[in-house]
Amino acid sequence: MYNTLIRNIIRFIALVVMQVLVFDNIRLGNYIHPYIYVLFIMLLPFDTPKWRLLVEGFVIGMLVDLFNGTPGLNAAATVFMAYMRPYIIGITTRKSDIEDKTAPSVSEMGLQWFLLYGLLLLLLHNLLLFWLEAFSIRLLGTVLLQVLLSAPFSLFVIILIIYVFKPLKK
Amino acid sequence: MYNLFIFIKKYSAAIVFILLEILCIILVVQSLPYHNRKMVSVSNSISGGIHKTTSNWNDYLHLKSENELLAEQNALLLSRLGCDEVEADTAYYDDKFTYIPAHVVDNNIYETNNYIVIDKGSIDGIEPDMGVICGEGVVGKVLNVSKHYASIMSMLNTKTIVSCRFVDNQYVANVVWDNEYYRYGLVKDIPSHLVINVGDTLVTSGFSNSFPADIMVGTIEENLDDENGIFSTAKLKFSTNFSTLRHVYVVKNNFKAEIDSLCITR
Repeated sequence: MYNTLIRNIIRFIALVVMQVLVFDNIRLGNYIHPYIYVLFIMLLPFDTPKWRLLVEGFVIGMLVDLFNGTPGLNAAATVFMAYMRPYIIGITTRKSDIEDKTAPSVSEMGLQWFLLYGLLLLLLHNLLLFWLEAFSIRLLGTVLLQVLLSAPFSLFVIILIIYVFKPLKK
Repeated sequence: MYNLFIFIKKYSAAIVFILLEILCIILVVQSLPYHNRKMVSVSNSISGGIHKTTSNWNDYLHLKSENELLAEQNALLLSRLGCDEVEADTAYYDDKFTYIPAHVVDNNIYETNNYIVIDKGSIDGIEPDMGVICGEGVVGKVLNVSKHYASIMSMLNTKTIVSCRFVDNQYVANVVWDNEYYRYGLVKDIPSHLVINVGDTLVTSGFSNSFPADIMVGTIEENLDDENGIFSTAKLKFSTNFSTLRHVYVVKNNFKAEIDSLCITR
């Protein structure tokens, strides 16, 4: 328990620092902007209560927002993603599959499942984020293009991060 | 009460989710100028639409009283038109001509050559040869100017000739006075092939520097076909009632000097 908490805190800080110092500076074209801090929400244990998912999503999103000067933008998207996480787990797994698992990580659930799970969550997160950023129905085409290009790129970066920091997590 | 707790417990995640999202969106709208403006404009357009709809309904409900008001205003305006009390209003202004309002202080209609005296003079910018009109139509031309007064050669003067034009077919003719009755004048120099109908309207041609175009002169009362060749004559009823003249406008042509410099002989 204590170990998990320490690990989560380190993961939290590391992901926020990476996001704010490195990935927020990456804008490929106008469309690709990687968001990797959501990995923290993705990797929370299966038995995390829903309200804690939401609150942690809000906290990490707001922290990134404060560094970006966009209060509420990332927080809204991350809270939405955290709210949808149990449903995404529900449609991608059977109950028997996750009974003996602790967290939805690559090492426990396999890369193939994690790619699907991560992509779905990233699509939801980016959709709300880019739409809130544009704040207009007229820009829907641009928003969808941003989502469809950014989400796979973010997932790619997230997989890289998982493999680079594998020793730290286990 | 117990059921309420059950409900809150059951949907706690959804409630927390909605509250957090509302908080986030409020933060976004409050802190980001673009989102703030957008939100204000969207809410303005919604409230504006609602207000417009309700005011449409209100207008409809108040049609009756509105009609009465309009009828009263119409009556007022009509009575003003009748007694010609319209002061210099903005409708009389355009680039080329300036209109100087004046009061008639002396007026005569029974002489062979009638003159009108107005209470504006050189100090007000009146100059000889300026045109004079009133709300009903043409009055005459300025003859002499003193410091505070000016004399006007009215249409009821055998020396006055005003160039005018048929509204219907644009033919040009001259209007003079035949020294008979103050309501009627003569239209001379009408091309004889022109079919003149009773009631045809004549307005100023705008060819003289004294009058702007399209000022009412009068209507044809009778066709005096004297069959003396190229031109025919008609009897004209002046639109201006000279016996009740009180307020007039002196027409100042702002480009008179420029036009005169082109050496047009008049």
